Amino acid sequence: MKPMFLPEVEANPRPSPVTDLIRIAQSSAAEYPKIWHLFGYRPEATTHLGEFTQAIMRGDCPLSPGIRELIAAFTSHRNDCPF
Amino acid sequence: MPHIQLAEGLPGIRSLFAFRPETARPLCDLADVLLHAPGTLTTGERELIAMYVSSQNDCHYCQTTHGAIAAHHLGGNDALVQAVKRDFEHAEVSAKLKALLNIASKVQRGGKQVQPEDIERARREGATDREIHDAVLIAAAFCMYNRYVDGLATWAPPEIPGYRERAAHVAEHGYLGIPQTVLAQTGG
Repeated sequence: MKPMFLPEVEANPRPSPVTDLIRIAQSSAAEYPKIWHLFGYRPEATTHLGEFTQAIMRGDCPLSPGIRELIAAFTSHRNDCPF
Repeated sequence: MPHIQLAEGLPGIRSLFAFRPETARPLCDLADVLLHAPGTLTTGERELIAMYVSSQNDCHYCQTTHGAIAAHHLGGNDALVQAVKRDFEHAEVSAKLKALLNIASKVQRGGKQVQPEDIERARREGATDREIHDAVLIAAAFCMYNRYVDGLATWAPPEIPGYRERAAHVAEHGYLGIPQTVLAQTGG
């Protein structure tokens, strides 16, 4: 996989559930989405992104989770972000 | 006039925080970690990045708010805030901050606009990976906040005096208390 711009982000994950996932993927030489490194590097910031995503995607709302994911997928597609 | 029914009298993103407290909390927590919590970039530098991205996104409320907060952190130097907004490459800020503002401006145009030479320039000027990481996350987060504020056409006072008092409070106390403040103001 292509290295990220910032080696420190890949090299210094902090203890977190996503860090365990990275280790498992690396030990089996599996490919994994490198956004995991962003979540592992600065959990004190990214935990809030996770909470925000949970609230907006799964919180109480008349739009079904499926429709909300479609909006997210469509926006990411328009932003040329395949992940 | 806002596109949806929002509490009157609350400006910009505050009216949205009152409308949807569940998402307000993590958005304020994120802003606090990025802009207010201790870091190697000063609070003034980080607010300048937030202000600059908001100005490039033409978000009146966010650029005025974070410009006022930046000016507060910079000892009231609003002229410097305006100079960064006009042309940061020629403003009286450090070469490192210019390099980080350059990266932030690329993120504002699109994440893939950031090139290896932009990262190299920041490293050359002494930026750490952590500082580059945070500059990118501030820029990305403010693209979200800016679109949130303008995508629902929130109301905001036109002039700076309305912003200064709130800016001073946020500069001193951070972002964590905002959700509670707006709920108190709407009687929620």
